[in-house]
Amino acid sequence: MTRRDLLRLGFLAVILAPFAALFRKRTETGTGYFWQIDPDKCVQCGKCETECILPQSAVKCVHQYASCGYCLFCSGYYQDKRIEFNTAGENLRCPTDAITRTYVEDPYFEYKIDEEKCIGCGKCVKGCLSFGNGSLFLQVRRDLCKNCNECRIAKACPADAFVRVPADRPYIYRKPPEVKS
Amino acid sequence: MIPRLLILFAAQARFPAPEFESYTLPKMSLEELASDSVLWRVLVLCVFLAAGSFCFYKWRSRKAMLAYSFAGLAVFGFLFASCPCPVGMFQNVAQGIADGSYIPPGVLLLFALPLAASLFLGRIFCGGACPLGAIQELLHWKSVFVPRPLDRILRMAPVLLLLVFSVCAIFGIGFPLCYFEPYLPVFLLDFASPFAILSAVFLIAGLFVSRPFCRYVCPYGVLLRFFSYFSLLKPQITSHECVNCRLCEQGCPNGAVLPPENTGNANQHRAGSRRISMLVACIPFALAAGGLFGYLGAPVLSSFHRDVRLARELDAGIRSEAVEAFESTTTTREELRVRAVKLQNGVLLASTAAGVLFGAVVMAELIAEARRRKEEEIYTIDPSLCFCCGRCYAACPLERKEKHHEK
Repeated sequence: MTRRDLLRLGFLAVILAPFAALFRKRTETGTGYFWQIDPDKCVQCGKCETECILPQSAVKCVHQYASCGYCLFCSGYYQDKRIEFNTAGENLRCPTDAITRTYVEDPYFEYKIDEEKCIGCGKCVKGCLSFGNGSLFLQVRRDLCKNCNECRIAKACPADAFVRVPADRPYIYRKPPEVKS
Repeated sequence: MIPRLLILFAAQARFPAPEFESYTLPKMSLEELASDSVLWRVLVLCVFLAAGSFCFYKWRSRKAMLAYSFAGLAVFGFLFASCPCPVGMFQNVAQGIADGSYIPPGVLLLFALPLAASLFLGRIFCGGACPLGAIQELLHWKSVFVPRPLDRILRMAPVLLLLVFSVCAIFGIGFPLCYFEPYLPVFLLDFASPFAILSAVFLIAGLFVSRPFCRYVCPYGVLLRFFSYFSLLKPQITSHECVNCRLCEQGCPNGAVLPPENTGNANQHRAGSRRISMLVACIPFALAAGGLFGYLGAPVLSSFHRDVRLARELDAGIRSEAVEAFESTTTTREELRVRAVKLQNGVLLASTAAGVLFGAVVMAELIAEARRRKEEEIYTIDPSLCFCCGRCYAACPLERKEKHHEK
């Protein structure tokens, strides 16, 4: 085979490729390059904290204020086995004190995630889901993620919650759980 | 975005959102990504390939090629943090073609651009635009020559890896090349992970053996090797006559410089043709052996797939995190089992085919090795093995003389 033959074959393939693409079925998920967590599949196993190749994981907890109940006794903020309802470390769920609680109006409190401190362990997410609205969830931060082609966390994720997303829709939001009546 | 928010407000939460008097909801802290960073890489890669071919074919300078490698390492290795790099993209493309999912244009371009370039410029991509090649080029101290038979055997490993990794990508087992990529911990400056041991092994081997990853591991290199065989521009040591001093052959650590072929005698020709007919007779056995190898290896491959592992854990009654996560979903065990069996059958077929193909490639390589080469009087460079490092330019006395005259 000469160079010319190979080129001719290549051009033929280029011309035929779009026709092949027309007859291909397209799948909905995994239609991009960037990794993201599907919060509806996530089981908060804690692997996001430990498996990421970065010294501090690119996965952070985010707060969807629109679905937060602003509870006085937030189950994402307080431990299950707390001693008292105060802000002493032994009563709080977050291991790195990344959640700040500020008074808004009686009886509502705003909870804010400090992303400098957040390690992506997902403990608060689990707590919020166990009793609250599920307004806290884990997401891969696009500004921190190194976009490894084979994400180490995705490989270790027991729930298969890591999906590929396109660059123009890089985050997946959670729907709040509905009231069981 | 807007329909999503509507859904959020329409669905009633367990604790309904309070109605505040003087408090507006803060914005969520997620920043949208400004642009597709993959497309940026494609643009920079184009600039690099043009600059590299200029350094190699026009300036013919070892120093310029070292600078090119250094720039490639700095930009693609450290500034862009390695991934996505063209070396691993064949897996994305294979998966995209197999499951019909959309392949982002950036990914497709990263995969195709170095291949297209190799059709015109040879392996200029390997020379320095590839961060993995660049780090090996720069961290090479003393060349230890790999014995020829060992080199020929090890050279088949990338072909095997290309086939195995393609099967893994097609069936969603994963991208093992990117998972075990030995230089990623270096690029991310993260030496605490267990993968750093692998990078240490490759870096230390690279001090003595030239480009151990490129020559004996890189599956993308197989494709580049194939395309650069047909390259338009071919590296050439001297434009004038050769004095047969052997300095370029001794200077090339990659074994790409071929010594002049002499005519040989009738006995040698007869031995050569007997060898080729022997090899041709062996082809069916090689294909069968390859197929058997692939058939036996298939269960090992499919056992790395998530569904197969999960089905096995469910049957064995192991309470792993994956099993617990599976039980919280709506998928039934039967569905999972059907999926796993279908996948195992697919892998069995593909792996056997890959084995047959590997047997064919090995035989083709052996026959090409036994064939009589074209008679040449000067030292030539095999464009499919040349990594465009420019060492031979620096070693050639005629080249130096010519450069001196130009000045």
